[in-house]
Amino acid sequence: MGEIKPVYLEEKLKEIEDSGRLDYRSKTLPTWCPGCGYFSIVEAVAASLCELNVPNENAVMVSGIGCSSRFPFFVNSYGMHTLHGRALPVATGVKTANDALTVVVVGGDGDGFAIGGGHVPHAARRNVDITYLLFDNGIYGLTKGQTSPTSAIGFRTPTSPYENPDRPLNPLLMLLSYGASWVGQAYAGRPDHLHKMITQAMAHRGFSYLHILSPCVTFDKTHRTYGNLGMQVRDLPADHDPTDRLAAMREAMDDALPSLGLYYREERPTLADALDGLVEKAGGELPGKVVAKPARKAARR
Amino acid sequence: MATDIQISIVGSAGDGTIAAGDILKNALAGMGYKIISFDIYPPEIRGFGKCIARMRITTEQAYSLKHKSDVLISLDDSHAIPHAGEVRECGAVIYERASIVQLPEGGHISAHIGPGQLPYPVPVRELAEKSTGANRSRNIVVLGFLAGLLDLPDEAFLKAIAKKFKRKAEAAAASEAAYRIGRDFAAQTFKLDDVVFGPPVSTVVAGATVEMISGNAAIVRGALDAGIDTFFGYPITPATSIMERLAAEMPKRGGRLLQTEDEISAISAVIGAGYAGARAATSTSGPGLSLMAEMLGMGVIGEVPAVIFVSQRGGPSTGLPTKTEQSDLHMAVFGGHGDAPRIVIAPTNVDGCYRCAGKAFELAEAYQTPVIVLVDLYLSNRYETVVFPARPPFEADMNRRPGKQSAGAQYKRYALGGDSISPRAIPGEKGTMHVVTGLEHNELGRPSDQAEMHEAMSRKRHEKLKAALKHPDLTTCKRFGDEGAVDVGVISWGSNFGESLEAMLKARGEGIRCAAMKVVMLSPFPTEAVAAFLADCKEVLVPELNYQGQFANLLQAHVARPVTRLNRVPGEPMKVEDILEEIRRLAGRKAAQKAA
Repeated sequence: MGEIKPVYLEEKLKEIEDSGRLDYRSKTLPTWCPGCGYFSIVEAVAASLCELNVPNENAVMVSGIGCSSRFPFFVNSYGMHTLHGRALPVATGVKTANDALTVVVVGGDGDGFAIGGGHVPHAARRNVDITYLLFDNGIYGLTKGQTSPTSAIGFRTPTSPYENPDRPLNPLLMLLSYGASWVGQAYAGRPDHLHKMITQAMAHRGFSYLHILSPCVTFDKTHRTYGNLGMQVRDLPADHDPTDRLAAMREAMDDALPSLGLYYREERPTLADALDGLVEKAGGELPGKVVAKPARKAARR
Repeated sequence: MATDIQISIVGSAGDGTIAAGDILKNALAGMGYKIISFDIYPPEIRGFGKCIARMRITTEQAYSLKHKSDVLISLDDSHAIPHAGEVRECGAVIYERASIVQLPEGGHISAHIGPGQLPYPVPVRELAEKSTGANRSRNIVVLGFLAGLLDLPDEAFLKAIAKKFKRKAEAAAASEAAYRIGRDFAAQTFKLDDVVFGPPVSTVVAGATVEMISGNAAIVRGALDAGIDTFFGYPITPATSIMERLAAEMPKRGGRLLQTEDEISAISAVIGAGYAGARAATSTSGPGLSLMAEMLGMGVIGEVPAVIFVSQRGGPSTGLPTKTEQSDLHMAVFGGHGDAPRIVIAPTNVDGCYRCAGKAFELAEAYQTPVIVLVDLYLSNRYETVVFPARPPFEADMNRRPGKQSAGAQYKRYALGGDSISPRAIPGEKGTMHVVTGLEHNELGRPSDQAEMHEAMSRKRHEKLKAALKHPDLTTCKRFGDEGAVDVGVISWGSNFGESLEAMLKARGEGIRCAAMKVVMLSPFPTEAVAAFLADCKEVLVPELNYQGQFANLLQAHVARPVTRLNRVPGEPMKVEDILEEIRRLAGRKAAQKAA
């Protein structure tokens, strides 16, 4: 631990203002409950967009339905607040129409792994060049606290008043096997790490999946709380090789003590690359109809 | 001499029935005749299902197939026997001469040929074996025989055969041999004097091209000519061939096509691409449209352009996948929850498929809404001779874009007022950032559940579509037949209008004062023009291929007046005779009333 420095409010505010990241926050105030982890996610996304120097008008936030899915309204960019479970295919359409856009999909565990579960493998295997931020609170918050596909066995909610009999899914393991080309995990209680992970995920060319553990402070007082998660989460081992998919899967198996960090990364052609390849094969000309300039490319590492 | 000849080929799946029909209609179209054809086939790839290739060859414009065929070719007697009665007096039945000893009584078609019909037994199997060394190409042997019998030129057939087997040299050679042996055999038989081809008539305008093309192929051509950028789809009969053709053609023009994991994903991606400024489309049939209903509503409330080609088949549920029906009108016009107005256009012929497909992209952009182009299996798979204009008759960009925004002003994506169509910005454009949402929203696009806002936005979404009824160069409805007051008016839609028009013209020929109207735009409904037409009609007949009378329901929701419904669900086109009979009955009832 280094020296502990005092933080003065005025200095901190000036630092935030000077960073330019407030340009990426809209004037609409978030509708989440006080203490919700999603506040730190929207802050981190704004900071990452700023850091990567993405022009606001080139960014598109796409969401489904749920607490997390109100997200696009809170970001100063283009956005689509779509239907429950359909954010990924909508984003695939946006990206296919204009590859120069930076497309970020946000959604919850119910949106992504219950109603929208059928779309996840296909977005991943196609390697659509989008970033999928999955806000996992293990509960349906917007409908006031029912069981979700990542709720623990035994969890008691209004739709499982005795107990939840179903075992939870393991999204990281699923995404690794679906062929996502970037898979990572972060925790809303560690905003600095979260911000770094989001920046990396956005900078990755291809389908990046970031699983974000985030407690529901209103409807879950027993399982996924800040108290519990703070005790459980740990970093991935320092020697973890993010190019080793089997090692990533082994790490993902341990869902009792979730590890934070980059599980897996590979470079491979994106969906747009593949579709451009078809145009070449057919002897056609690539469309010149690009509206936005790919200003983001320079910022990519 | 005007030519009007109908030929039917009936066989079992795997006999090459449809392939023989393809070669025949290509040969005749190549000679310059007008063709209308429609094939019927079972849902299985092989098995023993019935296949029928049926085509009408004319020099004048025809609108449907005829009730009676001039020539019937049997490739499988068990399937062809029920169709023997469809051959007209002095028409021909061509069939396998093979031994009938082993067949049960009545199992051979020769026992079913009427006294007025001319039997042409041909040793098809024997000739096929002689020419190809195997029991193959029986379908081509009978084509050769037909060509000889009707004295049609070899070149047209050999060209059509070469086209069919252009990637299979061996099959092409075998087929040519089979064709020639069939043709030679025809020289030994008696002449068919009553079925005669006159010279073809050319009506080509300079610059235009004439093609015999299917409804689905015409839709593809319309979409390409309108500059489609992206397509997302999922295979489903009878819409699949739209996607297959686009998959081959779009990359040649820099377009992007993706086969999605389901129809929900397809329509979602179309909405996403439409939001991002692309001309985007999908194609499906009834079951897929059911799955798309929710996202269609998102397109309506978000005011996002999208084009959905829907080819109906028999329903509900999986229904009759390879049979035609017009029972998805309710779904197309009203499907989904909430007040969700959209544009629905239903072409009535193959030429209309081309025009509606292209116009759909204009409509979607101009009125910022999902547009459904509603056809059915009959129209999708129907071939017609179509004259294509030299230049595509479609506008490349019909978007209303926001001008430069003044500094500090917030862009109102859903600005109210005027003609209710708000300027639309797309991602990548500066100063006009906004969020499209499935929630009710205010002018800025921010969620709002205020009573006044929901009222205003609901009105906006309905009002803006009214202008579509006056969209340039788009037929929303059209009247045919007698002008002024008529005894019987036939009003119909979609593929079934061809039969309705033929029946009306026949009735006129019999001296009945009558007229017909086709309605192409089903939503918004051209109430004014339809009401004017109905006011001219003493009796109104609404024939359609569904049980409920879905178009009649729609019609009566807009124009309150009694109509006579004619509903059939045979899975096949309606019989012209059935409609004609109804027209006669209605005209007679009127005469009887007058006498009383």
